[in-house]
Amino acid sequence: MNAIEVEKLSRAFNGLKAVDNISFAVEAGEIFGFLGHNGAGKTTTIRMLSGQLLPTSGRARVAGCDVINEQRRLKPLIGVVSEHQNLYERMSGRENLEFAARLYKQNTQRVDDVLEQVGLTNRAKDNVRNYSNGMKQRLLIARALLHRPQIIFLDEPTRGLDPVVGREIRRLILDLSQQGVTIFLTTHYMEEADQLCCRVAFLSEGRIVALDTPANLKVAHGKNAIKVTLANGESLSIALNDGDAGEQLEKLVNDGQVRTLHSAEATLEEVFLQIAGRELSE
Amino acid sequence: MNLSVIAAITRKDLVDAIRNRYLLTALITPLFVALLFRILFPGGNPRNLLTIIVNDSGNSAISTQLAQAPQINVVTAGSSATTETEVQKRNAIGGVVVPANFDADVTAGKQPELTIYVNNKKSLFEQAAFRQLLEQQVRSLVKRPEPARLVWIDVDKETSEQSRGGLSLNQMLLPLLLIMTLGMIGAMVVPLLLVEEKEKRTLDFLLASPASLKEIVAGKALTGVAYSLLIAGLLLVFNRQNVGNWPLTSVTILFGLLFVVAMGLVMGSVLNNTMQVNTWAGTVLIVLLAPSFPSIGLPAAIETAMRFVPTYYLTEALKLSLGGSGLSKTWGHLAVVLGCSFIAFAAAVWALRRRN
Repeated sequence: MNAIEVEKLSRAFNGLKAVDNISFAVEAGEIFGFLGHNGAGKTTTIRMLSGQLLPTSGRARVAGCDVINEQRRLKPLIGVVSEHQNLYERMSGRENLEFAARLYKQNTQRVDDVLEQVGLTNRAKDNVRNYSNGMKQRLLIARALLHRPQIIFLDEPTRGLDPVVGREIRRLILDLSQQGVTIFLTTHYMEEADQLCCRVAFLSEGRIVALDTPANLKVAHGKNAIKVTLANGESLSIALNDGDAGEQLEKLVNDGQVRTLHSAEATLEEVFLQIAGRELSE
Repeated sequence: MNLSVIAAITRKDLVDAIRNRYLLTALITPLFVALLFRILFPGGNPRNLLTIIVNDSGNSAISTQLAQAPQINVVTAGSSATTETEVQKRNAIGGVVVPANFDADVTAGKQPELTIYVNNKKSLFEQAAFRQLLEQQVRSLVKRPEPARLVWIDVDKETSEQSRGGLSLNQMLLPLLLIMTLGMIGAMVVPLLLVEEKEKRTLDFLLASPASLKEIVAGKALTGVAYSLLIAGLLLVFNRQNVGNWPLTSVTILFGLLFVVAMGLVMGSVLNNTMQVNTWAGTVLIVLLAPSFPSIGLPAAIETAMRFVPTYYLTEALKLSLGGSGLSKTWGHLAVVLGCSFIAFAAAVWALRRRN
């Protein structure tokens, strides 16, 4: 069963197409990565799928709801973590969640539960302006989880976070996925997408240019070879589809010439570069 | 519309607004000005000695009270006919002609006529203080509303037509403070409530939540209404002795509220950040407040221009209702304010739809 179905979706701003005729589907419980450089249309897509912005054309169903005509039914079924840390900074963490709880008709016990889930119980009464970036990000996730959504949209959830906090957030995402929550994730970090996502879509200039599992993309766009670094510092590549690849490798190992062996499989970053024609960070 | 969503947004804004120093300043400024004015002009009286010409053939209690009043210098006029001339000759603030049986008629409840000349060449503050003094003295004669009929005659009619006659000092200040309250809400509070959501991107969160754009806007408008009612209510309660017609004054303030909240929504929809609001709020506030200032001696063109500002009609309606006038005299002004409110709401709806 598909949690998200998108068909020929487009959105233009003043005649310029930010999202151009994209189609894809996300299965329930899947972690789906949406990757692209700045301005590729990732956030615009999330805003359309979460009912914040009307598409110019096309259709989309999220959690079984039409994003144009069934917004009131859709919104309690989804959670959104924006790329901006859009919290009420003069309010405490608990007050932020209590406000969200009133909008989503949740009780205060649920506020306590999500604070516990993201590890903010001890700092719940502090003003958000005194929170670190990592704490704000955890509070954003707590707010998105408050009403137990079926689908969560995470827009760059680890951007600007230190590696330790980034790892905590990734662990949280995996936990949610294991609980059956569908996750639509945008990120700049290819390693993160590789580690978390069941499938990824590459977006370039508003269009989807590739969509598959990270493993398939890497195989399809990488070399089927092994990179060998020799003891004398030289390196060579052995193609695996070559008939005597096994013999070559065995000889080098037996002669004690091998210092390191690496797969020559492409990284997701390299795959993106090949497909989109430019680096993700550009 | 989901009322619980609107209530949640209003509740959040009511608490959050007082933690925002810009909004807090906007909210308490009218109360601060009222307090400042009370400190500077206790009782609303100027500190200079006022000369009053009195013609009292019956030696009534009122002329004795006037003579005993602080800061007052009473000069006796030979006859009622010379009272007005004496006022001009001595450059007094005014004159009072007390009929022969005044005290007896007051006691009998006959509401005798008390003729009062007002020197319009004197400052507005002095004129207002004189009017207030006479009203207080007459009220103190017996414990009954309107013991006598006060007939006000302007000594210099030409100046009088340019002045805001018939109101006491507090009754002139009160409309100004009420318009200031409404102006602050319309030009600063409501726009900032909306603009801050855009600026901090919390509007994205609200739009992704079960709240619709209509409910978000209604929540903001309700916050503006709540704060306006609170501050305007406090101003009216502090100045309750100057409110002549409570129901009509309340209706007038409600109509004014509709206008300023709608205007605030337009500003909040069009502007994008706090700096823009701060820049525009000053200009808008000056335009809104201008008609509520006493406008003696202003060029005719400016007087005419002020009639294009809705708060001109709101000020007039407030002055009349505070002065005790009924609906028959104020309905025209109220109709203009209500019409402007509808236009402003239509503009707000258009601006918000355009944004979406």
